[in-house]
Amino acid sequence: MAQCVQSVQEFIQDSFVPMVAVLCSEDAERVTRKNSLSFPELLRPFCRLTSEGHLRDPNNQVVVVKGLRISVTGINTRPPQTPEMHKLLSQAVSVCQPPEGSPANVITAGDYDLNISATTPWFETYRENFLQSMPASEHEFLNHYLACMLVVSSHEAVPTEQFLKLSQEQHRIQHSGEFTHPKWFNPNTLKYYVLLHDISEGDEQRAESVYEDMKQRYGTQGCYLLKINSRSGSTGADEQMPDPWSQYLHKTSIHSPVNVPLVFADGVSETHPLQLDQPTDAGYPSNNVSQSVNNVDVTRPEKQASVTSHTTPTPRGTCLTLNDHDHIRQFIQEFTFRGLLPHIEKNIRQLNDQLVSRKGLSRSLFSATKKLFGGGKVPEKSIAELKNTAGLLYPSEAPELQIRKMADLCFLVQHYELAYNCYHTAKKDFLSDQAMLYAAGALEMAAVAAFLQSGAPRPYPAHYMDTAIQTYRDVCKNMLLAERCCILSAEILKSQTKYSDAATLLIKMTTEDSDLRSALLLEQAAHCFINMRSPMVRKFAFHMILAGHRFSKAGQKRHALRCYCQALQVYKGKDWTLAEDHINFTIGRQSFTLRQPENAVAAFRHILINDSKQSAVQQAAFLREYLYVYKSMSQLTSDSSLPQLPLPCLHSSQTRVFFGHERRLAEGEKQAATHVSLDQEFDRDLSQLWRELEEQVVAVANRGTVPITFQPSQCCLNSQTDNLRYPLAVVEEPIIVEMVFRNLLKVPLALSALSLLWKFTPKDFSGPQVVCAPFFFYLARLKLLPHKTGELHVLGVVYNLGTGEVDNSEGSLAGDLMCVRGQQNLEIQGPRLNMTKEEKTSVKYGPDHRLDPIITPPMPLLEVFFINFPTGLLCGEIRKAWVEFVNVSAVPLTGLRVASTHPEFFTFGSATSDLTPVTPTAAEHCSAYKTVAMPPSVATVSLVSPAAFGVTSSDRPIVAEIPLSQGVLGPGEALQIPLWLRGPDREGVHEINFLFYYESTEKTAKLSHRVLRHTAFICASRSLSVKATASRSNTLHGRERESEERQEGEDKNGSMLVFVDVENINTSEAGVREFHIVQVSSSSRQWRLHKCINPVGDKDSKLASRERGKLCFKATRCRAEEATSEKYTFADLNLGNEQIVSSTTPCADFFFRSGLPSEPRRGGVSTGGASQMRRQSGTDEGVTNIVKKCSEVELDIIVLWKAYVVEDNKQLILEGQLHVALQTIGKEACSLSQKEEAQEMVLLKFKPDVPPPVSKPSLEQLSHLIKTCLHYPESYDHPFPQKSLCMVPVTLMLSNCSLAQVDVIVDLRHKTTSPESLEVHGSFSWLGQTQYKLQLQAQEVYRLSLKACFFQAGVYNLGTPRVFAKLAQTSAMCETSQQSAMPALIIINSV
Amino acid sequence: MNCDSMNYPLYIRSVPTQGELKFHYTVHTSLDVVEEKISGVGKALADQRELYLGLLYPTEDYKVYGYVTNSKVKFVIVVDSSNTSLRDNEIRSMFRKLHNSFTDVMCNPFYNPGDPIQSKAFDSIVSTMMVQAF
Repeated sequence: MAQCVQSVQEFIQDSFVPMVAVLCSEDAERVTRKNSLSFPELLRPFCRLTSEGHLRDPNNQVVVVKGLRISVTGINTRPPQTPEMHKLLSQAVSVCQPPEGSPANVITAGDYDLNISATTPWFETYRENFLQSMPASEHEFLNHYLACMLVVSSHEAVPTEQFLKLSQEQHRIQHSGEFTHPKWFNPNTLKYYVLLHDISEGDEQRAESVYEDMKQRYGTQGCYLLKINSRSGSTGADEQMPDPWSQYLHKTSIHSPVNVPLVFADGVSETHPLQLDQPTDAGYPSNNVSQSVNNVDVTRPEKQASVTSHTTPTPRGTCLTLNDHDHIRQFIQEFTFRGLLPHIEKNIRQLNDQLVSRKGLSRSLFSATKKLFGGGKVPEKSIAELKNTAGLLYPSEAPELQIRKMADLCFLVQHYELAYNCYHTAKKDFLSDQAMLYAAGALEMAAVAAFLQSGAPRPYPAHYMDTAIQTYRDVCKNMLLAERCCILSAEILKSQTKYSDAATLLIKMTTEDSDLRSALLLEQAAHCFINMRSPMVRKFAFHMILAGHRFSKAGQKRHALRCYCQALQVYKGKDWTLAEDHINFTIGRQSFTLRQPENAVAAFRHILINDSKQSAVQQAAFLREYLYVYKSMSQLTSDSSLPQLPLPCLHSSQTRVFFGHERRLAEGEKQAATHVSLDQEFDRDLSQLWRELEEQVVAVANRGTVPITFQPSQCCLNSQTDNLRYPLAVVEEPIIVEMVFRNLLKVPLALSALSLLWKFTPKDFSGPQVVCAPFFFYLARLKLLPHKTGELHVLGVVYNLGTGEVDNSEGSLAGDLMCVRGQQNLEIQGPRLNMTKEEKTSVKYGPDHRLDPIITPPMPLLEVFFINFPTGLLCGEIRKAWVEFVNVSAVPLTGLRVASTHPEFFTFGSATSDLTPVTPTAAEHCSAYKTVAMPPSVATVSLVSPAAFGVTSSDRPIVAEIPLSQGVLGPGEALQIPLWLRGPDREGVHEINFLFYYESTEKTAKLSHRVLRHTAFICASRSLSVKATASRSNTLHGRERESEERQEGEDKNGSMLVFVDVENINTSEAGVREFHIVQVSSSSRQWRLHKCINPVGDKDSKLASRERGKLCFKATRCRAEEATSEKYTFADLNLGNEQIVSSTTPCADFFFRSGLPSEPRRGGVSTGGASQMRRQSGTDEGVTNIVKKCSEVELDIIVLWKAYVVEDNKQLILEGQLHVALQTIGKEACSLSQKEEAQEMVLLKFKPDVPPPVSKPSLEQLSHLIKTCLHYPESYDHPFPQKSLCMVPVTLMLSNCSLAQVDVIVDLRHKTTSPESLEVHGSFSWLGQTQYKLQLQAQEVYRLSLKACFFQAGVYNLGTPRVFAKLAQTSAMCETSQQSAMPALIIINSV
Repeated sequence: MNCDSMNYPLYIRSVPTQGELKFHYTVHTSLDVVEEKISGVGKALADQRELYLGLLYPTEDYKVYGYVTNSKVKFVIVVDSSNTSLRDNEIRSMFRKLHNSFTDVMCNPFYNPGDPIQSKAFDSIVSTMMVQAF
């Protein structure tokens, strides 16, 4: 139970006070009316005695009466009837509201911090009013009148007669039996004669004389002269007087209902200016609050208004001075001490005497009857017929009641001990008589008296109270008494900190018949729970909700709202969502009906925004209600700023901003650059890739350096992009803001008329204009078109929110009704900062300027279209496409460049090549190559520098400049240029990124350049696999010498064989029927293909699926003048009748772009060698180099092919080229780069690798130092019969392949150790010197003449000489056996 | 039926779904009684405390039973007063089953203590118990 202003003792004392009636003459009434007060009202503020009173009890003990209060009421006052009383009480409660900003009492219980109003003044008011309006009952005398004041004005002609009249009147009222009210304590009521004198009017002398007369007649103790109205009302209006009546005002209204008629007309609610029209509104959803309930509340302010209007102009007590106040106070004191207390004392004595005398009698009588009837409990009076459900009813003067009367008197004068004893005795008597009502009353008062006894406190008999309550309620069916008893008991229990019992008691009293009482008692019970030693928070909350429910049923909306709000504190945020939603919903409703739409909206908002577990139907209902409330609120406020909407959930951080216009995607066969669009997902790797590309192109544009101010262009900003800078937007180009809405509800929501909310700080005048894009369900994209430069801030979004349900019957109407307009702000937080220590320890977020673009002056805007751009290519296929650049802005653009991740994929052609701008359509079926008709013969040779193809140094040309006429693309101009594409070497889908870079012709500070992105996907399918091997031409050397003696001197050992293996590895899906090898070209700085030496002579090399062909070529060293530093020699060997000029666009472009030529790779080798050399001795180093050199070639083979493809019943011819780089003699090279294939999973190693063993030139490598060649006649005729020995001259040619001096040992001896060789080789022997030691200079060719001797005819292998070589400088090194010669067979014929 | 640790609901299930709100209120309010009972046992006996708390309080229509694990996770079972088939022993075994099942849930490494229980196994245990009981 909440804290009260009064202590319990005070409260109980004040609940039971001596009652005094007042009977006024008309004149006297008129005198008091001057103060706009009746006589009882006039006295009321002074009815509490400040001084102590004394009286003696029957035992002559002095009883001290402290702080006694008397109740003075008009004799005609009736306790209100039940319905009336209900109204009054409910009114009293509703008027009494918790003050605004009431002392916040924070109770901490467990993990709950509850903010609860500590006091419940409305309950106290209710209690007070309730107790005072209790009708006087038969069974108790506490509120029966003890005395009657007869008031007569001194102005009266004959006051004495008037007194007589009043006295008779009083007698008539009490004794005639006509009146059931009022009730009188006992027959001889104390009459007190008061002469009221109006000082301002009356004659004081006369009054005094009348008073003297009265004294004579009634005795000094029975009369009084009261002088009031010291001044006339008009004079003292300006004077500030204390108004002691104000706090008794509402009591006035209760006790004299005649004076202030209460208006409860229904019309009031209709005429009320602030009346809400909602109860009659049919559209109000599920309006279950009845209208009658509303009325109490609605009339409340009206009532208040009427009271204030009544009081303010005519303040009470205007004719009274402070002296008059004192007079009245004195009068009351005089009355009480001289009149009332002695009267009571006398009565107590009388009653006591009666009881004592009767006691003896009754005892004897009792014993007699007991003897007679055998102890049967028969009532001694024959009043059994009066027995009703409540037990007996005694007549008012019944002797049984005397003791009760005495007890009541004692109680009233605070003699609690005696009172208790009397009550106790009475209780026993009544119980034995089965007079249950009386017994209950006695029990109740006995308990109260026991509690109030201060001296020797006996334990408070709570069970008395329980029994009393039960009896009142169940037996007597008197709820009022039960309630009074309950309130008293609960109050007492509370004072003894028995909160649990008090709560139980209070909860038991909640019944269906009175909502107001139930509500108040439940609330008190809730307060009991929270005040327990270990507070029961949840019980508190639960009972608060019950109380709130009852309050709302009783029409006490404010109280209901307060209860729910307090309960919410417990349920809030504890996951008890169902309960929380219920509470919030109720709060919303109540707030709304109380015209607190903000609170209502907030409460509904809570239900909707949290992840609700309610059913869809329930949610829909909540939503409708919310929309309704919200709408009515917005109608009320109707100011410019729109309120915030909670729905749907707006994910601010996921907002994306896109700068740039909407592009045409495709136009006929034109295919626009993909650029950036909002439909793409953000990819960090990809954006990093673009950023690098842009950096490279900017570097190129700025002659190699990236400016410090460089920032990558960001067209689409999202949460992952770098939003620290203010983004730049160009005037007249739209800004698209994409917002992500999420509907957490299970019901659809309809958003319409979305528009952005923005603020613009113009550098110039006028603002941008907003255009709304159509609505997407989850993503809303809104477009903003700035017209002036300046700073723009996008603040939020404004939209209409409605239910997504479509009513078929009245769809549009309902939609209009259930649609509200509101806004949501876009508040974007940057990423959390986590750099410095301070930032790490605290939670700080960086700025995010995504929505604050700066509008810059116009910039050029490029659009790029691709024409005939393929999606699928064969590996190595060459295709010609066209690209169109359009400047769609009003500003010329310049400095157009393109960067790509795959520069080898495309080329715009070299600057030298003559661009024949054929229209793309005409060029469709032409070959992409430049061709010249020429029969197949020896290779044609041309020299080309790579610089001509934009290939500088070793870098791959990532950035390419696009030539523009006069370097500028004017506004609206378009430029079409051809573009060659080459299918990637590896099959699969390739993502190729183009970044087009361009600048404005005039340099603006803000935006230095712009970029356009394009991503193309190319699906490459397998075509041919080309493998090439180069091998030393050992044997060919001799023959060559014979045929081309002229050249021999020049390229001594400068020729080799190139074998090209071509396999069709195409899978038939692509519809490729066959491949034709059209031409094989070479490109190198030192070597060139010389001629085709295919043994079969099959010129037309067709390759059907899975076929393999082999081509054999002879390569020679370039001539000295050709083999200069940088220029590459292209040699074309066409197999058909058309020669493709490989040294021009596009063939050479792709050749250079494919990043081959041997230079970088050789560099790689040499550096690799260098790293090894560090560990080697100086000689080793030299050896390695030398040894390597001699087996090294750099020859790039370009295989040009045509593929015949059947597609849609049409035959197409596709062309392509494949590159193979030959590096080492004897090593096979493949068109597919081996590196990637070799990539395997590398084992995780935990120990550092053992350093690779010092690599000496391997034996295999060393064995290539010397090339040997035997020259001899193939067959030799010899007449063996004539001459048994046949001697054949043989020349052994030794050529040094290396660039160093080599020591050579030629050993002609047969290996004796191997008998097999003897057998195989038969018997021939070398003549002459069997071992030669020679020294060969660099690249020297040495001819050694030998003689072989044969003994008989046959076939012999001459390849037996073993050649050992070692580098001249490295003495320590053992000689290495050189490559054993091929079997050199000689046929010896016997003639 | 309900589990609850820091007095946040971990799991609530009721068989007649229409009166769910009422049950939520009942269960929530019963937590006060549970706490009272726990604190009433006293420190000395706390370790050998009986987990089963018995009938928390009877209302007009329902009987509310409580059970508290040693880690202060509360189980509350509300049954219809008219249901006489459920004796104290049955309720006790129901609680034990619930506790076991709850332990299983807690053993799930992916379960974050304090989150609402969304385990299917737990669901089915509760369902079978409810089917048996009612």
